Amino acid sequence: MLDTLIPLAVDGLASAALIFFVAVGLTLVFSVLRVLNVAHGSFYAIGAYVAASIGLWIASAGLNPWLSFPALVFSAAIVAALFGPLVERCLMRWTYGKSEAIQILVTFGLFLILEDLQRIVFGVRSLAEDTPMQLLGSTQIGDVVYLNYQLLLIGLAVIVVVGLRIMLTKTRIGRLVTAVVADREMAQSIGINTNRVFILSFTLGVFLAALGGALATPTAGAAPGLGAETMVLAFAVAAIGGLGQIEGAALAAIIVGLARVLAIYFAPSLDAVAPYIVMLVVLLVRPYGLFGQAATRRI
Amino acid sequence: MLRMEDVTVAIAGVQVLRSVSLGLTSGRTTILIGRNGAGKTTTLRAIMGLLPVEAGAVHLGEQEIGTTPAYQRAAQGIGYAPEDRRLVPEFTVEDNILLPALALSLPAPERARRLDEVYALLPQLLTMRTRPGGGVSGGQGKMVALGRALMVARTALLLDEPFQGLAPALALDYARTLGELRRGRPDLAILITESTPALLDAIADETLQIERGAIN
Ligand SMILES: Nc1ncnc2c1ncn2[C@@H]1O[C@H](COP(=O)(O)OP(=O)(O)OP(=O)(O)O)[C@@H](O)[C@H]1O
Ligand SMILES: [Mg+2]
Repeated sequence: MLDTLIPLAVDGLASAALIFFVAVGLTLVFSVLRVLNVAHGSFYAIGAYVAASIGLWIASAGLNPWLSFPALVFSAAIVAALFGPLVERCLMRWTYGKSEAIQILVTFGLFLILEDLQRIVFGVRSLAEDTPMQLLGSTQIGDVVYLNYQLLLIGLAVIVVVGLRIMLTKTRIGRLVTAVVADREMAQSIGINTNRVFILSFTLGVFLAALGGALATPTAGAAPGLGAETMVLAFAVAAIGGLGQIEGAALAAIIVGLARVLAIYFAPSLDAVAPYIVMLVVLLVRPYGLFGQAATRRI
Repeated sequence: MLRMEDVTVAIAGVQVLRSVSLGLTSGRTTILIGRNGAGKTTTLRAIMGLLPVEAGAVHLGEQEIGTTPAYQRAAQGIGYAPEDRRLVPEFTVEDNILLPALALSLPAPERARRLDEVYALLPQLLTMRTRPGGGVSGGQGKMVALGRALMVARTALLLDEPFQGLAPALALDYARTLGELRRGRPDLAILITESTPALLDAIADETLQIERGAIN
């Protein structure tokens, strides 16, 4: 029994880690910009395509295969640098303080643009590149075999949770972000350049989404339609955790990840809907999510 | 020191300030009196740069700052305490007061000097400095907001209805503090809004009336 449950749990946690990267970026951007970015999942998809392309290029150029690890993070950084400041300055900032309907329309427009861009640049084929997973191999404990790459994903997610929390509470920029989340106008009037905080937070959100996509390629590759699929899942996770809640997103990702593998194992037909069943149940009991509060805005 | 000239401001298409002019002088306290909805808060927000000015000019010394973003006006030493305290609930009282030092990247000695100044003027803050900003009363929060504005204020200090919601004893205390500030800080041009002027008579160098967005 344990021999099937533990590998299932590792599977679940590894997929939780990937979706966590996307959901925490979504939640961070929502806290600071107060815009629910419907196009957020597209950065995951683009991150996946860029990472797979760079990975394939490293392989075909005959470079040291271990380069494919830094290449994953580098891919996410490229996507963030390319899209973060540009999209925030040219598009997102026009939606601040506007009605939610406008914000959703504008970011949905962005989603369509990014989907087309992805199709133009990468075509409609799927890419597969699993060098990092092959290189790390597997570990056998007892009768159970673990993919080391999955353990790496779980470790990275833990580092991101802890790192974000430390950044927000201990560093100068993190404390300025917290002040902007608490009250934008107050933040400006005590000397905070809120535009810089917006650019930075949005770019960090893009980076985290693209990192999720890049880290997913060794196990899942990159395929058309990834953006929309990821967005819906990330939104479910962010809503379960409570919008704006970092630790909430982490816990919600774990719950959703485990629910999915349990569904795959015990009731395969429920695999795709399992996250939404969890969301429904949680939101019925706690309408603002597990960690969410109606009144105060936290991060 | 700080002048508004024929400033017109509209919020959501409605004229809220009509050709408002006023001048503040270092070392002097100006009181702006007006009923609810007269435009007191809007005047302060326009000086701070939190609202776009449609017409007219705002001068700080020789410099026209009408289009300068709010965060740069803070760097130029205009401190603003809004009528609702707006503290960061997760930060301690002291960290709330120190937030401007962080935002403006003040060097450590300057930061310590300004903080000492704040505590000297508002010793009540010392007893609550480790409490979370979300855990102080309305009146205490007003003191914290004043302390935070003082960290910024080098040229001008804008206080929006500082007495609103204060118990009478606390209000008297606060009025005394503002009198002390006027004497102790000749570098500051102070502008205070109020709907009831009684408490401020003693410290007012000049009193202005605002009515339906215009100063008489
Ligand atoms: N965000 C807003 N949207 C629309 N109208 C506004 C907004 N803010 C202020 N106003 C209008 O502008 C006018 C001036 O408002 P302001 O807040 O400056 O008044 P005030 O003198 O500070 O009043 P109070 O004593 O109630 O604080 C009011 O008529 C108000 O209705
Ligand atoms: Mg007001």
